[in-house]
Amino acid sequence: MLRYAALRGICLFAVVVVAVYITILIANMGGYVDQIIKSEVRFRIGVLVNQNPAYKNLPPSKKAELIEGLYQQEIKRLGLDAPFIFRSHQYLVRALTLDLGRSLYLTSDTGSRLVRNIILERLPATVLLFTSINLILFFISITLGLYASRKYGSKLDKLIVALSPLSSIPGWFYGIFLILIFAATLHILPYGGLVDVPPPKDPFHYALSVLKHMILPVLSWLVAYTFIQTYIRRTFFLMFSQEDYVEMAEAKGLPPRIIERRYILKPTLPPIITDLSLTLISSWMGAVITERVFNWPGLGTLLYMAAIMLDSPVIIGSVVIYAYLLAITVFVLDIVYAIVDPRVRLGVT
Amino acid sequence: MSFLKVEDLYLYYRTRMGTLQAVDGVSFSIKKAESLALIGESGCGKSSLAKCLMRLLPRNVELFKGHIYLDGSDLMELSDEEFRKTIRWQRISMVPQAALNSLNPVIKVGEQVAEPLLIHKSIDKKEALERVRELFSLVGIPQAFMDRYPFELSGGMRQRVIIAMALIMNPEIVILDEPTSALDVLIQASIMNMLKRIKRESNLTFILITHDVSISSELADKVAVMYGGQIVELNDAESFYKSPLHPYSQKLMASVPSLREDKQPEYIPGAPVSLINPPKGCRFADRCPFRTEKCSEEPPLVSLKDGNYVRCWLYAR
Repeated sequence: MLRYAALRGICLFAVVVVAVYITILIANMGGYVDQIIKSEVRFRIGVLVNQNPAYKNLPPSKKAELIEGLYQQEIKRLGLDAPFIFRSHQYLVRALTLDLGRSLYLTSDTGSRLVRNIILERLPATVLLFTSINLILFFISITLGLYASRKYGSKLDKLIVALSPLSSIPGWFYGIFLILIFAATLHILPYGGLVDVPPPKDPFHYALSVLKHMILPVLSWLVAYTFIQTYIRRTFFLMFSQEDYVEMAEAKGLPPRIIERRYILKPTLPPIITDLSLTLISSWMGAVITERVFNWPGLGTLLYMAAIMLDSPVIIGSVVIYAYLLAITVFVLDIVYAIVDPRVRLGVT
Repeated sequence: MSFLKVEDLYLYYRTRMGTLQAVDGVSFSIKKAESLALIGESGCGKSSLAKCLMRLLPRNVELFKGHIYLDGSDLMELSDEEFRKTIRWQRISMVPQAALNSLNPVIKVGEQVAEPLLIHKSIDKKEALERVRELFSLVGIPQAFMDRYPFELSGGMRQRVIIAMALIMNPEIVILDEPTSALDVLIQASIMNMLKRIKRESNLTFILITHDVSISSELADKVAVMYGGQIVELNDAESFYKSPLHPYSQKLMASVPSLREDKQPEYIPGAPVSLINPPKGCRFADRCPFRTEKCSEEPPLVSLKDGNYVRCWLYAR
């Protein structure tokens, strides 16, 4: 077991290293960005020297020499004198140690320019909102899906199937209508944001205020995705309820609840857990449009800002953090698999 | 006094092509501790008949009617919940056809065998596992296997586990649906011997469903031959194996390969009758060597002794 965990850990770390390195290569266009910066520097120095009255009477060859000297100095200062391949490895080491550098334009609410601070400040809001949404969706769809698969062909089952196309429109779209109804018309819920302005002082009222602000975004996703999720689970359970061992359990006269728990849910747990955890992780990158619609100060909003302001360190930084989160989740998943499924634990497929 | 009596049992399925008459007016009765073999080709309705007895019906049932008397009381009058709580596994248990896939892959076999005891009798786990241990030695499984998972067991072992499971509640009737068809001959033989021993030592009633006449001869006191959803011959094993009456039974017996005689096994020309819109009259008529004009009419049930019968014009007086 320990050997298994260590082996998986090493493999996953290798994957993270490769993923981050590829991101660095892509974000730098394989070194081409260096060329852009270098020519920019040369242009800037050229303009500076030519416009400086002190150098006005210098002969052109001297002037060129001067520009070349200043240029080399500046390149050295920027660290661009080493070849890209060499520097890309430095970038890699810094990214892997979460030394994510400084942003170009964005700052955190506390005024920090460090990419790590900016991201870590936004992450909790996103994690809070989307983890809640996905957990609620997950438990509703599992319970309802099991029920619908048992009552296959019933009115409720047909209703779920009929409503599943609601997901063809994304959640934020329903969000707009929910804002119109509950905020603009009825005035019972806030338009958006994380907490009331000004934020309540004591923690209890603060939490309550956050909860109140979460209602509409959560609801908008539930409207969109509850039925399709339930539909998918119901079909999945229906498939597995035709296994021979499920019929055997029925023949044994076991009550339906036990059959569902031990004979349908338990053997199908590994794929369900995978699904849940991967959904959770990917939701932590935030949903750009949903966060914009509800003015939610999360990673999605941050990425949106970084994209329109061309703040590449922030984007690279969030990819690095995401790669880590994903690897850690897959690692935990592998261990959980081994716990819930003896077939994995004992090395049989 | 008959112990299990089935009267005019019908089970029709709804299919896209029309109504499929899987069990079409089946009647038979057996005494306590008597074993019945249900023989027939694939698709003749024998597994459907077993499903009727366990009331394990698929979703597309169109018609399910008739009477099943167990010890005098009609099981068809029980609600599904009553049936589940009082009949399944406690009085009637089964070894299903796909026995190799009938164990839950993520629960230890010992626990799976003990499960009905824990749920129906609510006795404590230690006692239940003790009983499992006894049964495992009865069916010839090492006790260490209790803590194993199904995928760690061979096919024959899994079959024994299922048989142990079928016996755990001390049921009165055990339905064996093709209990050995997925196993090689050596394991088949050892499992049949084990079943014979269990039959000798207890007063269990076995209902053995098989397409294999030679296997049925090992266990049966009584034989019912099914064709096209109906029982065409119900007879005592002894007289059946000596001289089968119905032409279909004769053909079945003649198709058994024999080791010592220099006799080619016969086969039955034609295909089994379709159970969707079966022809009027005798369902075997198309393949029958003794066919007469009368066969296009519904054949009579010709009574033999002890409530046995044969469904054929040949024996009508």
